[in-house]
Amino acid sequence: MSCPAERRLRKELLELLTNPMPGIYIDEEKVAKNINEWIVTIEGAEKTIYEGETFQLQFSFNEKYPFDSPTVLFIGKIPVHSHIYSNGHICLSILTDDWTPALSVGAVCLSIRSMLSSATKKERPPDDMIYTRTCSKNPKKTKWFFHDDTV
Amino acid sequence: MGNCLASNSTDDLTLLNGRNEGPRESIDQEPVLQFQENVQPTYSQVGTTVHQSLTEDEQIKIAKRIGIVQHLPISQYTHENFQSKKVPSECDICMNDFVVGDSIRYLPCMHQYHVHCVDNWLMRSLTCPSCCEPVDASLLLSSFENV
Ligand SMILES: [Zn+2]
Ligand SMILES: [Zn+2]
Repeated sequence: MSCPAERRLRKELLELLTNPMPGIYIDEEKVAKNINEWIVTIEGAEKTIYEGETFQLQFSFNEKYPFDSPTVLFIGKIPVHSHIYSNGHICLSILTDDWTPALSVGAVCLSIRSMLSSATKKERPPDDMIYTRTCSKNPKKTKWFFHDDTV
Repeated sequence: MGNCLASNSTDDLTLLNGRNEGPRESIDQEPVLQFQENVQPTYSQVGTTVHQSLTEDEQIKIAKRIGIVQHLPISQYTHENFQSKKVPSECDICMNDFVVGDSIRYLPCMHQYHVHCVDNWLMRSLTCPSCCEPVDASLLLSSFENV
């Protein structure tokens, strides 16, 4: 990885460690080993259907970050949500089409946490079975159709 | 209630950038590897052509884009900029502070970034990274006014 991407990731890391965001925890040890792979734990917000649950997000960055978006997916226990596939892929426009270099790991985490918070029902996307059977391992290779960003 | 339909396809830009499956840092820049797991075999053909040479249309598109980007004003970050609270002190792309003497590009929305930072982005998307305001539309308008 070339320097600018790494420098920016270190800045973001420092910022997130000095000013932690509620319900969002960085696995410092993992990041220290490899700045291009982050594991972030997201706590379900209080008074939402995910209260008391924690989930893990995996971020992978390439040398073109922040011009290229990070690859982001849930690993381990996958939240049951209408925009999250059972293989951990997330249907969220800022992860692909609407990514801009002014976004950051923090912004992505916030947006995923609020996507969880606004859900009223735990259900998988209607095409979960087909998608998870045919999709690429890399969610960025999916051409997503974003039907509704508010749910 | 949103339903999130997804179709499994790859966009050209993705291919152009040479992204691939799995742990990216290990096998990046190897277009051959990247298509093996795809269901539709046509990807590999499309992918290699895009990767190897740009079509004439794409070259024209890139040339036009360079033309637009070059018309966006640049100025040096001055000591006055540094003291005034009106000008942001940081580039939102690299997240580094502006230093007196840095070349800053001003977008029509008045957001500003290091020239090298924002040009890299504008070659991908003619929008402001911070407010998503399109860059080309307003430029076209202003060039009409100048004529
Ligand atoms: Zn910059
Ligand atoms: Zn702007």
